[in-house]
Amino acid sequence: MPRLSRKLRKWTAAFLDLPQDVALDLPRVTMIGGLQVTVENHRGVLHFSPKTLRLAMDRGEMEVTGENLVIRNIGAEEVFVEGEILGVTLHPKGKPSG
Amino acid sequence: MKGTWFAAVRGYVWIKLIGGNPETFLNAATAQRIGLWNIAFSKDGELTFGISVPDFFRLRPLVRQCGSKARILAKRGVPFQLARLSRRKTFAAGMLVFVSLLFLLSTFVWQVRIGGDTAIPEEQILRAAREEGLFPFQWSLRLQDSSVLARRLTARLPDASWVGVEKKGTMIVITVVDSTKPDAKSAKGPQDLVAKMDAVVTRIIAENGKPQVERHDRVRSGQVLVSGWLGDADRRKAVVSKGKVMGLVWHEMRIVSPLVREQKTLTGASKERTYWVIGSRALQIAGYGGEEYAESRTGAALYPWRLGRWMLPLGILKEREMEVLTTRDSLTAAQAKEAGLRQARTELLSRCGTDARITSENILHEQSESGKVRLTVLYEVEQSIAVERPIIQTPSE
Repeated sequence: MPRLSRKLRKWTAAFLDLPQDVALDLPRVTMIGGLQVTVENHRGVLHFSPKTLRLAMDRGEMEVTGENLVIRNIGAEEVFVEGEILGVTLHPKGKPSG
Repeated sequence: MKGTWFAAVRGYVWIKLIGGNPETFLNAATAQRIGLWNIAFSKDGELTFGISVPDFFRLRPLVRQCGSKARILAKRGVPFQLARLSRRKTFAAGMLVFVSLLFLLSTFVWQVRIGGDTAIPEEQILRAAREEGLFPFQWSLRLQDSSVLARRLTARLPDASWVGVEKKGTMIVITVVDSTKPDAKSAKGPQDLVAKMDAVVTRIIAENGKPQVERHDRVRSGQVLVSGWLGDADRRKAVVSKGKVMGLVWHEMRIVSPLVREQKTLTGASKERTYWVIGSRALQIAGYGGEEYAESRTGAALYPWRLGRWMLPLGILKEREMEVLTTRDSLTAAQAKEAGLRQARTELLSRCGTDARITSENILHEQSESGKVRLTVLYEVEQSIAVERPIIQTPSE
């Protein structure tokens, strides 16, 4: 997304009091205790193992760590993960992941 | 996964992905909008997931692209069950036969039951029902509509005022309501009306027969009041004499009335005790303590346990003890006399019949001794004095 367009969108969202995820196409993470995580607006699976799940975002990556992770359901837009979730980490673009 | 039942109807498979790159496979699958669920790693580090059957066929090129192999772990759902069933023809046929047999048998009448409180013998009702085609193991499609059946059964049962036919599954309930009939009068032979006791006739009404006495006549016990014989000496006929004869009768009553009246009343206080009953023994489990009553009355109720229609020798006994208070009123001689007379009057009237009436009361003797009032009273009562006596006819020579 060009820089100008993104700035405009951000300004509009702030001015009209819109939720940022609607205006900016950001991922929306819903977490229920340490049991379930739903990530909407992801851009694909980068890595999946029983301990970690790395998802691509528009700008950067997101990492879900835990034990015995199971992808309950996966669609083009959302992922629903179950297991003993220990952490959700965001890695914006440019910074090293890990 | 749109609900497990939906997936089960369409059929789904558990897949194990061997080799290749699981991430590329997942991204490719989501890009193709192939629904996967329960994606997890097995202990050997291989990706396992569930997928619906139509999606499974779309999955194959993807698997090949990723350079891996898909292995089916298990097949679930209705289509696979049906396929398995089609291999076992006899079993499938048995299921079909069972369902059709169940349906066929449910179209029969299995039971005809008679409800309602009726004096008509059950066999008569069942016979009438049978003639209308209503009997066990009748095919219920051959039965008529229940309102038509009810109407026809009413016509066949003259003693019933209403018949209801109700179909409850395979059971038919016939409800019969009896018509009320006047009480059957027993045929009476010819009879006289005679006096029950010595009296003075006050009123005589003969509905049938010939009155033999008049008003103010003195009659003795056993004297004929209304004769059943009509006609002369040689042309005569015995009839059933009917009528009403009232007369004045004297009764002498001896009354003893106490001067102290005891009255027992319940105070309202009560205690409840609960027992477990085993056979003829009882074990108290509740209701201990509390003050004992000086005087009490105890009522008990047994609640036996039932098993179906058998009564078990076990149960619960509930006992209620109610406190009783006795009050003693001392009466004056006049009050005691009045109470005694009142009791004597009710006793007399109940003895003399419903249409009796006390016309006079005469105290002959009155004595008060050892806490009691003794009275001798002569009552004059107007009461029915007629009693029926059959005429025994000797056959004419």
